[in-house]
Amino acid sequence: MRRTAKGIAVLASATLALSVAACGGEDKAANEQPTVDPASLTAELTWWDTSDPKNEGPAFQELIAKFNQTYPNVKINYQSVPFGEAQNKFKTAAQAKSGAPDILRAEVAWVPEFASLGYLYALDGSELLADEADFLETPLASNKYDGKTYGVPQVTDSLALMYNKELLSQAGISEAPKTWAELKTASQAIKEKTDAEGVYVNPAGYFLLPFMYGEGGDLVDTANKKIVINSEQNAAGLAIAKDLIDSGAAVKPSANDSYGTMMTLFKEKKVAMIINGPWEVNNVQQAPDFGGLENLGVAPVPAGSAKAGGPVGGHNYVIWSGMPQEKVDAAVAFVKFMSSAESQAFLSEKLGLLPTRTSAYQLDAVKNNATVAAFQPVVEAGVGRPWIPEAGQFFGPLDQMATEVLIQNKDPKAALDTVADKYKAEVVPAYEK
Amino acid sequence: MTTVTADPAPSTPPGRSARPSRLRRSWDKHWYAWAMVLPVVIVLAVLIFYPLFRGIWLSFTSLTEANQAAEICTRSITGGEVCADNPNKWEFVGLDNYVRVLTGEVGDFWQWTGTTLIWTFVCVAFHFGLGLGLATMINRPMRFRSLYRVLLILPWAVPAFVSAFAWKFIFNERFGLANALLTAVGIDPVSWFSDRWTALLTAIVTNIWLGVPFMMVALLGGMQTIPGELYEAAEIDGASAWQRFKNITLPGLRPVSMTVVLLGTIWTFNMFPIIFLVTEGQPAGQSEILVTGAYRAAFEGIRNYSLASTYGVLILSILLVFSVFYRRALRKQGEVW
Amino acid sequence: MTEKTATPPTVTAVAGPALAKTRAVRRTGRSRRSPAMSVLLHGTLILASLIAIGPIAWVLLSSLKPGYAIQSSELTLFRDTTLANYSYVLTETNFPRWFLNSVIVAAFTMSIGIFLSATTGYAVSRFNFPGRRPLMMVFLVTQMFPVAILIVPIYTIMARLGLINTMPALIIAYLTIAVPFCAWMLKGYFDSIPTSLDEAAALDGCGPFATFWRVVLPLARPAVAVTAFYTFLTAWGEVAYASAFIQTDNKFTLAYGLQQFVPQFNPQWEYLTAAAVLVTIPAGLVFFFAQKHLVSGLTAGGTKG
Repeated sequence: MRRTAKGIAVLASATLALSVAACGGEDKAANEQPTVDPASLTAELTWWDTSDPKNEGPAFQELIAKFNQTYPNVKINYQSVPFGEAQNKFKTAAQAKSGAPDILRAEVAWVPEFASLGYLYALDGSELLADEADFLETPLASNKYDGKTYGVPQVTDSLALMYNKELLSQAGISEAPKTWAELKTASQAIKEKTDAEGVYVNPAGYFLLPFMYGEGGDLVDTANKKIVINSEQNAAGLAIAKDLIDSGAAVKPSANDSYGTMMTLFKEKKVAMIINGPWEVNNVQQAPDFGGLENLGVAPVPAGSAKAGGPVGGHNYVIWSGMPQEKVDAAVAFVKFMSSAESQAFLSEKLGLLPTRTSAYQLDAVKNNATVAAFQPVVEAGVGRPWIPEAGQFFGPLDQMATEVLIQNKDPKAALDTVADKYKAEVVPAYEK
Repeated sequence: MTTVTADPAPSTPPGRSARPSRLRRSWDKHWYAWAMVLPVVIVLAVLIFYPLFRGIWLSFTSLTEANQAAEICTRSITGGEVCADNPNKWEFVGLDNYVRVLTGEVGDFWQWTGTTLIWTFVCVAFHFGLGLGLATMINRPMRFRSLYRVLLILPWAVPAFVSAFAWKFIFNERFGLANALLTAVGIDPVSWFSDRWTALLTAIVTNIWLGVPFMMVALLGGMQTIPGELYEAAEIDGASAWQRFKNITLPGLRPVSMTVVLLGTIWTFNMFPIIFLVTEGQPAGQSEILVTGAYRAAFEGIRNYSLASTYGVLILSILLVFSVFYRRALRKQGEVW
Repeated sequence: MTEKTATPPTVTAVAGPALAKTRAVRRTGRSRRSPAMSVLLHGTLILASLIAIGPIAWVLLSSLKPGYAIQSSELTLFRDTTLANYSYVLTETNFPRWFLNSVIVAAFTMSIGIFLSATTGYAVSRFNFPGRRPLMMVFLVTQMFPVAILIVPIYTIMARLGLINTMPALIIAYLTIAVPFCAWMLKGYFDSIPTSLDEAAALDGCGPFATFWRVVLPLARPAVAVTAFYTFLTAWGEVAYASAFIQTDNKFTLAYGLQQFVPQFNPQWEYLTAAAVLVTIPAGLVFFFAQKHLVSGLTAGGTKG
């Protein structure tokens, strides 16, 4: 009895396999890819997505469904992982060589770090980098470590000046301020002529970078292995930010939850200008009192005495080195699909995300998107960050410094000297101070 | 519950002649005792003691996430793997980590320790004081006793990180309830997180709110072991409520309160989420306690396991010293453990 | 009145006279309390209750608002009241699954935890075996090393045991938190139960285990209730281990699942608060029904006999 049953089962599965193969054959005919038959790729891949699960997650899942139309036998296990914990979670799992995802959406600063630890596949020589020149240079740079490329840019972003058009015109300001001095004047006008405040400066390291870049400063000089955080330029940049607050042009910020406070005030039209990135566009648009996208102005961050520029952020696709070699083809196919110009255009259209491919910006879906159009000059002015494995540790001391200077009235230069000491002791001991 | 009814009355006459030999009896006892504690010992040994001893060892090395492997291998997507010797492989560094931490070269050990001691002392004192007071009150017969009990326990039932967010909202400098109330009674709003002490206050208030229900329940349970006859006798003797509390309740609660104060101190000392979520160390890291400070120092970016372990061992040492003194102080009042 | 119904009827059979006496005292106690004292007592308790439920009320009220109205420069009790947050949490997320997972993890942690800590606590309380004192100290030491530092090595051990992304990993990890405390707690209670009871049971032919299980444990009911609360809530609200060991949505526990609602840049307070209310209600109900066991008052009557 048992034996016969088993025999039938074997037979059944054999026929099943046959019919599956037959189906695969038909698909192949329908698809025009000469080298690899998409249906012949069979694998199960886990992808940790760190995007906003509510606003962005569904669009990525739609993309996966599209991917599966071409690659029916590559199963993607989509798992949303909160951005804040993904970095440690991935490293813990990769270190234990168990439980890490095959593919991860990694923040730009994570890639050099993971790569230096040997947790990522080097992608050189694969199809993923075949058209490397198509990627925007600055976002792609974050994937390079020690002469190899470990990821493919998914999305890029940078800080911009976001403003409330209605409030600005009420104050008689016709175009967005282009320098910090103009920003100060505009703020004071807004404060005088409307019920709202002028600008909110978020006292956090990342959000102060435009002030420092504006004067020509930076965190470290990676080429010469030098810590330059305590430069005169940075001190001058901080002084500008501090003057905005002291003069009353900017709102007196809170030390805690200042980001949330900034966004609430902006959405309630209680503050006219903020410095923030494209990831907030969706939320601002949805705020009931704000007045939608029509009322949201986006301009490059104001310039200092040297230039105008915000830090480049964004996310990359990376592949875990612990993934078995036999899954490589499927993983490459998946990442290639997700980072293709068409997919990026799809995400632009749905979410207003900024593509990382030059060719994507030529597509209608991107060209006609107002948010993307507004942010494009912002991204072009973006300043690349030091892409070194230690980059993740730069912001802890910087955040402390921001509170000290902007809230506790500590002298900018003295506060920056402390940061430099910390960088030397704890972050990049090999660098010169 | 039938088992209770089946209890042998304590008056059952003793005296079975055929007792096993002393040796045999103690062997039996130990055998049972060991069988009873063995599962716990195994689980703790594997999950806590192995990492703990490893942690002590790591604190004498320079091991980090970046230098732990002897060689770093890079797998190429086109196949093949290149391995290179790790130039900065970890090594034994003796007491270097301790020197760096204790001299303040890395982190702010002494400031964090000071904050931790204040935080622990204030929190535990209020936990115990308020917990004892409330437990005494709701241990009395009165109307709505069950209702009070449930309401007072509720803070414990909310996941701690949600409560932390709730309190953070309450103390929000612009939109929070705390400042709205102050404004309503004519006091200027407070920038809670601009000052070290007010920032710490918000965290302490949050933690007291969170921790009192546990204390209350534990002490309430403890009050049940005090025989009611003692109170009756005292009442007949004309003892006042305060005298009864002082002479019966407090001594009767000793085993329980000793445990909860001891463990409460250890837990509060290492209480991570409240500081981490409510104050985020603001302003500028000044409201950081040892565990949160160590976490930020060692686990942001490339994780520094040896540094983290050094902090861990220092924390462990402080708490061990505390436990020893605590035990000694209690022993003077009579043996407890 | 409630405290009378709270007394389990079976107890009356054992400790009838003692209990009757206690009741008599209680009655006189209440009637003797002066009105001023009553007002003070209730006043204090009402104030304490208000403080206790204040932040929870904030969570509840927030859960009935749309997201944009939660952090707002206008403080309002109600604004655009809606139940949409609840329906989103219940239907659009895996919440029901997380709930089930949490119940499973908490139930196992609770039952195994109580069992292990009761046996351990009893052994330590009653038997003077070699290693007894060190064991209690060892329990303390396990609580002294910060969890944040333990997570990575424990993950490695769990990975070797093949337990990553499984519920046993969580149950075992939570036991390491809960058992040491519970063992200490129960040891304290067991100490207060006269050993004459054990001896009597032993003479009656009960082995040490039967004595413990059938005689001592039932008497320690309030203590068991306390430890049950503690183990249950440890497992119910823990996040750190869960976020390290659990990787797929269908294995999340509630507390960890809730964290999914508060990503760094776009926290959905409306869903977090709605979910938090849904998490708190069952825990509150468990309290409501279990609290009776906290105050059995039978140890006194039962042992004195």
